[in-house]
This record gives sequence, C-alpha cells and structure tokens, in this order.
Amino acid sequence: MKELEKTQRLSIASVLVVLLVLISLLMYKRPKHVYNTNSKNTLEKVISDDYFIGLDQINNPDYILVDVRNQIEYNKGHLDHAINIYTPELLNKINSKLLKKNKKQNKTMLLYGNNPHETIAQFMLLYQIGYKNTKILTVENSYFENKLITKNSPIENATVDINAFIKESVKNSFKALKKTTKI
Amino acid sequence: MINRNLAKVLSFRYKILALVLVLLAAGLVLLPKYVKHEGISPKELLSNAISPERYISTDELAHKIIEQDPSFLLIDVRDEESFKKFSLPYAINIPLKKLLDEESVNYLDQDEYDIILYSNDHFYADQAWIICNRLAFKNHRVLEGGVNEWFATIINPEKPTENMPRLAFDLYSYRKAASMYFGVAYPEQARPAVSTTNKTKKRRVTVRKKKKMAAEGGC
Repeated sequence: MKELEKTQRLSIASVLVVLLVLISLLMYKRPKHVYNTNSKNTLEKVISDDYFIGLDQINNPDYILVDVRNQIEYNKGHLDHAINIYTPELLNKINSKLLKKNKKQNKTMLLYGNNPHETIAQFMLLYQIGYKNTKILTVENSYFENKLITKNSPIENATVDINAFIKESVKNSFKALKKTTKI
Repeated sequence: MINRNLAKVLSFRYKILALVLVLLAAGLVLLPKYVKHEGISPKELLSNAISPERYISTDELAHKIIEQDPSFLLIDVRDEESFKKFSLPYAINIPLKKLLDEESVNYLDQDEYDIILYSNDHFYADQAWIICNRLAFKNHRVLEGGVNEWFATIINPEKPTENMPRLAFDLYSYRKAASMYFGVAYPEQARPAVSTTNKTKKRRVTVRKKKKMAAEGGC
C-alpha cells in the first residue's frame, strides 16, 4: 500500500510537469514575422538578377502588381489592376493577410514605385520573411499633364567613363593654355 | 492480478519519464523557423530600411575626402572590373557577392570607422546596406546616387543659369573647386589649377582594420 501511495505522488508530479510544459508551449507567443532565409541566401538572390521584370513582360495572369508608394500617390494614378502596399505598412495585419493570400494562390508580386530604388526595402524584407514570390518591376513613374507616365528604367548603368572625362578636360585645358601663350 | 501488472509497468517508470523528456527535447529541434532567425527583427529592419537617414550626399563625401577625414572607409560594392576602371579615391573594393566573406566582414562589422557604401547608382549599395543592417553592423551609410551622381555633381557640375539664386552659384563654385581637386582641369584656369593642386595632393594612408579579437575570458 505504501508503495502505491508513493507512485501516486510520482505520477501526479509527472503529469503536472508535462502539463506545465504543454501550457507553456501553447502560451508562448510566436512573433508574427520571422525570417526564413539567412543572409547568405539573401545575398545570393540579390546577386542573381533574376528578379527583375521589364514593363513588356507584365501581361501574365500570374502576376499581381503591387504599388509600394503611399496612398495619396496611389490614388493619384497607378498601373492597371495594381494593389497598394505602402512599404512602412508592410507588416500590418491587413497587408499580411493579403500577402498570405497571394502566396497561397501562387501569384507573383511585382513591386514598383516611382523608381526601382523605392522597392528595394520591401523586396528584400519580403524575400527574407519567406515571400519568395516577389519580383521587382523596373519602371520609373512620372507625371505629364496629370497623367501617369511609366517607362522602363535600367538598373545600375554606368553612364560615363569618368577617367576619360578627366583626361579629356586636362587635354582641353592644355590646348587652351597653348593658345593663350601663343597669343 | 492488477496490482502485479501495475507493479511491472511501474518498474519502468523512470525510463518512461526519461523518454518523455527526450521526446520533448526532440520537439525543440523540430521548431524549424527559429534556426534561421539571425539578426534584428523584421519589424526593426523595415523601419531602418525605409528611413532616408542612411544616405550621404556627394557634396558631403567630397568634403570628407578633401579634408582627409580619417574616420570613414569608402567601400565599392561593384565588381572588380568596374572598380579598376574607376573608383573614388581611397576606396576599398568589396564586390557584392563577396559581402559576407570572412575577410569582408572584418571591414564591415566594426565600430571604429563609418562605412560608406557606393555602387554605380545606389541600388546595389542599398541592398548591401540592408543585408548588413539585418546583421546589426553599425555605422553604415550609402552614397546617394553613387558614381553617376558623383560625376553629375562633383566631376562635371552643371553651370547654374543666371536666374538661379546665389546659393546655386556658391554650390557650383564649391563643386568646381572640388572637381579640380579630383583632377579635372578647366581651360580658363589652366595655369594655376594644373600646376598647384595636383602636386599638393597628399595621399592618405589607407586605413586597415585590425582583425577583431574574440573576447578573451577573464578570471
């Protein structure tokens, strides 16, 4: 009989421990957004360049256009069928739902802003928290007579050869110098 | 009868308890997402990434270089080829793909120097900045507009038209003087500019980051 009492105590204790662990697991609050990609993989993605989409390729039923500008600018003018996710509000409830829905339906989100720079923050954050279905639409938006003008914008082009420009300027100034000394 | 069976089971009770604990511990391993969770939280990263504080203008940078400010490192994130073709004075080349190599991280993850990242535009530099910011590297800035803006403002500044305010003229003369420091010569000032500025230009000793020492244990 004594033996039984002892075991009862033991089993009660063990049940309590297990319950405690279970309760703490259930109560543990998960952060809403967590990374699921480490920095190395993100870097590889960034280098790969396969996330740029030009304006001529957007006619695909799997693409959803996402305007990253603020609501005022969005209301002023946006591309056809674009939805608005302003970057600072990216992680709020409504947008999270929207993102999840798009991911479920296997849609690819094309981000665009006034220029490609504006999309970097949103693109990289989305990629790192697991929305790999994101690409950047490389366009520039501007207004002409209150109409939205959208055109392709190249990324990171070297426009001029600076060394050549400096050499040229030195040459020119020498020429000018010779001229003045002759006179 | 029941008692005997119970006793049999109970003789394994410690083993069973141990098994339960081991299973629970195994459950921890199966929490997959947390393994990859390095760096600051996504929310923090977002608020850092949308703030324009990280940008430094080309004028500020030119001023720093000319003053020979020793407190910053210029880092070029373009590939080696474009780096060889043209780079800003005293820059160090860390191509974007080598950003997280051990050697590069020694430069990037320290708090002795301010770090200024640049590329042709500021697109790649921004990406590098965001990756570094997630890993909580400190004191990083981005050169706004990158090399292209450097050319448009410092090397080849636009002459203000007559109807522009005086400030524009002041800025222009500042930029023109800066461009002469970086080797551009203007025909109307050929004599003084070419002969003097190039010779007095002193080369700053390239600062090299010492390897970070791991914290040594005390007593």
